[in-house]
Amino acid sequence: MKCYLGIDVGSISTKFVLIDEENRILFASYFRTEGNPIEAIKKGLRELKDFIKTHNPGVDPHTKDYGVGVEIAGVGTTGSARYLAGVVTGADLIKNEISAHAKGVIHSIPEARTVIEIGGQDSKIIILENGVVVDFAMNLICAAGTGSFLDAQAFRIGVPIEKFGEIALTSKNPVIVASRCTVFAESDMIHKQQIGHSREDIIAGLCQGLARNFLNNVAKGKNIKPPIVFLGGVSENLGMRRAFADVLGEKVIVPEHNTVLGAFGVAILVKKNLPGKTKFRGFEISDRDIKCTSFICRGCPNLCEVIEARIEQKVVARWNDRCGKYSNLKYD
Amino acid sequence: MDATHPSPKPIITFARWGNYTIAFKTLFEQLGLEVIPPEKTTSQAIAEGARMAPEMFCFPMKVTLGNYLPALKKGANTIFMVQNVGGSCRQRYYGAIQETVLKEAGHQINFLDFRATPKDVYRTIKEISGASFWQIIKAALFFFKKLRFIEKIEKMAQYSRPREVEKGETDRLLTEIFSELEKINKEKDFLGFKKAALKKLREIKIEKKENLPKVGLIGEIYTVCDPTVNFEVERKLGLEGIEVHREMDITYHLKKLIFPWKDWIIQRKINPYLRSTVGGHGRDAIYEMLHYIKEDFDGIIHLLPAFCMPEISVRPILEKIHQESGIPFLSLSLDEQVAEAGINTRLEAFVDVVRNHYQNKNH
Repeated sequence: MKCYLGIDVGSISTKFVLIDEENRILFASYFRTEGNPIEAIKKGLRELKDFIKTHNPGVDPHTKDYGVGVEIAGVGTTGSARYLAGVVTGADLIKNEISAHAKGVIHSIPEARTVIEIGGQDSKIIILENGVVVDFAMNLICAAGTGSFLDAQAFRIGVPIEKFGEIALTSKNPVIVASRCTVFAESDMIHKQQIGHSREDIIAGLCQGLARNFLNNVAKGKNIKPPIVFLGGVSENLGMRRAFADVLGEKVIVPEHNTVLGAFGVAILVKKNLPGKTKFRGFEISDRDIKCTSFICRGCPNLCEVIEARIEQKVVARWNDRCGKYSNLKYD
Repeated sequence: MDATHPSPKPIITFARWGNYTIAFKTLFEQLGLEVIPPEKTTSQAIAEGARMAPEMFCFPMKVTLGNYLPALKKGANTIFMVQNVGGSCRQRYYGAIQETVLKEAGHQINFLDFRATPKDVYRTIKEISGASFWQIIKAALFFFKKLRFIEKIEKMAQYSRPREVEKGETDRLLTEIFSELEKINKEKDFLGFKKAALKKLREIKIEKKENLPKVGLIGEIYTVCDPTVNFEVERKLGLEGIEVHREMDITYHLKKLIFPWKDWIIQRKINPYLRSTVGGHGRDAIYEMLHYIKEDFDGIIHLLPAFCMPEISVRPILEKIHQESGIPFLSLSLDEQVAEAGINTRLEAFVDVVRNHYQNKNH
């Protein structure tokens, strides 16, 4: 059975999705990158290998070899660490997260017009028309309203992030929290706590503030039309779902697999534009020693910072140079 | 004067500006002045400039400030800075602020901050170099020849990059030509060099593709013209198979200084959107966008340095034109805080949008 693997390595979380020829999701995982993308990729591959080992219906009854039925026919990477992930795994396609998410959404909800995606460090809005991206925007400098901030606030209030949304839903009168900037939002929250507002009102107010902040900063000037789809780690948060529905005055759809749709999208993309043979390095890569270093090339005044990836001390790729002196060299 | 440079002999450095730096260097050399060109823009130069400059000031001022520093260390003691008249934008304060912060940092320099009028330019140059009238005219002519040549090969590269058979060949040639051009300091060598260089560029093997997705680059002049500042937008798009067009360059700017009616024509064309100047090249951005839409382009990229008042003022208008016309549009605000990875993600996604737009149009 031919399968396609999509890997989305973000700043906070890493997502793996395995699909079959009919775009069915066979396996999906979502875990924290913990600041070490290479380790996260290895971990994801190990998990996938174990999954195939235990669940694979196509195990050879005689040799008991796993992976007989499952053949990884293509690998695609996306997310902010997509180049690194692409080099480490030997990806056939490296795609930006906007196109990947759009593809994933179009496959799950074909009539969608607006996609709101909020991840750990970035937030984006994608405008679709007839199943094609026509406009998009990402937060540029400010990270207000992204997952990391919610995480930090949940920790500060002493609520586990998983409960954050439920508590927000119990609020009757959300307070107004200044939300132009995370720093001000935080001090305003402290202030609201100190004058005696209840915890759930503050949490609900924060969610609404963040939704407003998103619409004022990221989605400013964009043509938001229903159906609106909400994705990314933050879309798990029930409070944020309700806040967006309130602020937009529209129903907000959170599809199944909302956190891994980027990886799903890139898996579909790799299936569509497949080269003859996959460059996938195999699951063994998760047991190898992989290191990345950088050096400055002094060949010309550009002084590019070239990045070098080594697997078991052997250089497998170099990138980030402008002239192609290193990236065009042949590595196996 | 600095103790290490007891002689009052001026050693010139100036604001770096992309590939045009070569032409400016030639100008001063032809006047018989000693020149230490400003350092290439690197992340370190940007960081040092940003550290010295006031935080909420335009990005180009911080970058050029950072570019001076290595030249000053090597012994330069005189800085040239032009302030543009006409456009009410903060560019005219660059000189004053740079002089202040450099002197506060202990650099003993002679800062020549002059206005971009022929009279003022001539007087400043005359004073510092002591060159004769004819020498100045000759140097200026050579400067313009080099400048025109640089602009010409940049345009040729925009055409050949998306079409080249061997990826990266155009840029290799370009780097080679620019580094040789820098060494040419006699006018009689220039003509032969120019012919050979143009021939080399024309001989780049290209695929015969007349029609490609086209993207227009608009925005603030320094940012769109300096490839290191705009993270090489032109090159990145070109390698993705997109033909980039850019109207904004020094010649365009000088033409507008000499022929003021160009502004009136622009104003007439943008009347439905904006009825007055907003300073800088704000009006030009709207005019160019409308022009590219008329020419059936497949996308517009708007580049501006953070805190650029004229471009920020016209950005909502550009967004509106984008909503009305449906042309893909991307506005990128650049400064020392922006990471290249973020810009790359947006550009890659934008390339996908442009390609979709182009395909839908042709089917």
